[in-house]
Amino acid sequence: MIALYVVIGVLVVLLILVVLNFNSLVRLRNQTQNAWSQIDVQLKRRHDLIPNLVETAKGYMAHERETLEAVTNARNLAQGAIGKGIDAQAKAEGELGGALSRLLAVAENYPDLKANQNFLALQEELTSTENKIAFSRQFYNDSILRYNNKIQMFPSSVIAAMTGFKAGEFFEIEVGTEREAPKVSFA
Amino acid sequence: MKCPACSEMMIVVEHENIELDYCTSCSGVWFDAGELELLLEGMLLEGSSLSLDSILTSPEARSAEKKRRCPICGTKMKKATVGRDPEVLIDACPRGDGLWFDSGEVGQLIAQLPDRAPEGANSQGRVITFLGEVFQARG
Amino acid sequence: MWEQIRSNQIRSMVLVVGMAAVLLVLGYFLGLVFFGSGTGGLIIALVLWLVMNLVAYFQGDSILLGISKARKITRDDHPRLFNVVEEMKIASGLEKMPDIYIIDDPALNAFAAGRDPSRASIAITSGLLQKLNRDELQGVIAHEISHIKNRDVLLMSFCSVLLGSIVILAWYATHMLFFSAMYGGRRSSGRGGGGGGEAIVLLIGILLMILAPIIAQLIYFAISRRREYLADASGALYTRYPEGLASALEKIAASTTELKTANQATAPMYIINPFRQKGRPAADLTSTHPPISERIRILRSMAGGASLADYNAAYARVHQGGGAILPSPALAAGAAPLRAPTPESAPLEPEPGKVERTREVSDLMWRMNNYRTVNCACGTKLKVPPNFKKSEVRCPHCGRIHPV
Repeated sequence: MIALYVVIGVLVVLLILVVLNFNSLVRLRNQTQNAWSQIDVQLKRRHDLIPNLVETAKGYMAHERETLEAVTNARNLAQGAIGKGIDAQAKAEGELGGALSRLLAVAENYPDLKANQNFLALQEELTSTENKIAFSRQFYNDSILRYNNKIQMFPSSVIAAMTGFKAGEFFEIEVGTEREAPKVSFA
Repeated sequence: MKCPACSEMMIVVEHENIELDYCTSCSGVWFDAGELELLLEGMLLEGSSLSLDSILTSPEARSAEKKRRCPICGTKMKKATVGRDPEVLIDACPRGDGLWFDSGEVGQLIAQLPDRAPEGANSQGRVITFLGEVFQARG
Repeated sequence: MWEQIRSNQIRSMVLVVGMAAVLLVLGYFLGLVFFGSGTGGLIIALVLWLVMNLVAYFQGDSILLGISKARKITRDDHPRLFNVVEEMKIASGLEKMPDIYIIDDPALNAFAAGRDPSRASIAITSGLLQKLNRDELQGVIAHEISHIKNRDVLLMSFCSVLLGSIVILAWYATHMLFFSAMYGGRRSSGRGGGGGGEAIVLLIGILLMILAPIIAQLIYFAISRRREYLADASGALYTRYPEGLASALEKIAASTTELKTANQATAPMYIINPFRQKGRPAADLTSTHPPISERIRILRSMAGGASLADYNAAYARVHQGGGAILPSPALAAGAAPLRAPTPESAPLEPEPGKVERTREVSDLMWRMNNYRTVNCACGTKLKVPPNFKKSEVRCPHCGRIHPV
């Protein structure tokens, strides 16, 4: 009789452990999904801001057609990369970031443009959107780290394996020479 | 904000990105601490004899003039002198809220203008020049 | 993050229980002294506490925002502030955007309010908004968002209510004792019983009346200081840039203007203690905030990274006697590399200078106070208050007359 109670007790404890671990796995996975959708919102915001920016800049910097076209092209490529996997998207967004900062660097040479209220407002929005992309990426990667840790560590690793939780992928935008480039173009 | 001299509502005058509170009835001027700081910084005059800190640490000027209350915090303001020939008596909030120039005082300061050496020779001179610019039309 | 909040919660709970015990013991003995019944006193203390808690829970943020004369602003009023708050909301993973309020005061301060993360507000003085550049503003907002995220606001309002109850009880008891001694005569002697035992109860009651508010206050301050360190650490983690907050704190410390609308109970809500006195060492037991210079030094010595573990290591280096300030379970959360400072000439940073910032904020304040702006042809701007009585103003610069 006592043995039966012990077995039942152990089973109940095990069950509680499984439920708790499962729930926290679900919570962490939802968090990574929320974080990802936040990145999406911000990337979309950036895509939406660019036509406006290019339109405003066009009137002032007719000689910078190439720079402007590069931004528009990079934006279209980035928009096309949506849904093609994290790596492809990250690469396209990295290119877009580079093209944008080149444009804003060139804009420094056009005082009239820099005095335009509309351009200033767009510039503030764009700066902030860049920051928001960076911060949402940071939060997404933090969430992925927590989620992956949970999946790999005992005892949640067992439950994750049984219920099919898969490790998530980090989102790294290339921040290589692209971002540094503007400084050269001042010459 | 109410004028500390005649209690009328004052208006705000913005000139060259510096704001002053100005009484349309008695032509007195209130220099807010933050604005004074901006003005002195803009003219590269931090720590000049017109900064609030140096006015507040200078000895209280003796005067029969009525004590005025700071329009911001309501405490009685300290009398202090600036400029030379003649020294102009202004009021300073002891809690550091700002400076008050009565109408005549702005006039006297502006009157000192021609005597001043050219730009940059004297820190007070440059601030007085600024006041002179704002109150060009009527001293 | 969760583990660390939870573990900090436990430490804070221990302190809260300590405060509650002080309240109950005080109530019990006061009951014994005044009505000859400990239970009666206990019930009065509990009811008082409960009522105040309910008020604080449901009305706390509106009361706090109300007494500090904070005014809600919209995105169009100040896009940069809104963007910075949104950035930190994203970095912290907060679900709902907090409401943003401005306090028209040249003092430099900010606070967070709201009982839970989905109903939170951040208030900032106009002075602070003028003085800080974008990185510094980000640091301050990150600090406030961590207060929201760590649920410090609820904890601290809970504690301040507890403290308030104790102070009120002790205050009334002192007065009752005073009056009964003056006029009441020997009311208590009619109750019979051993005179010696009663004297001891009376003595303990008086002692408690004096000591309870002091003890409760010390506990309250201890909780508050701990939460400040945690908020600094999380702020550095969110921005990945401790220098931003450090340099903001430096500017705040250099300012001498006192906030007009703060009081002792709301002090822990602010980013720095609004009641600093010059020349007094702020590090003692009776301050709600850690000394600002120490907070700056800790943030500045976070060399390796921006994680909570890095903050802890920096704390151990800077704080005399070393030790750790954050609970250990949080520290395994992984590395967080520091972000490079925004370079001065960064093309992506449309950073208005100090003068532009000041004009931006003061224009916002004039607009919110319904001032009318008259642009004079000579380039001077006249801002006319709503209750201005005359029908025209004369530009003091060029003498033109403008109708109002």
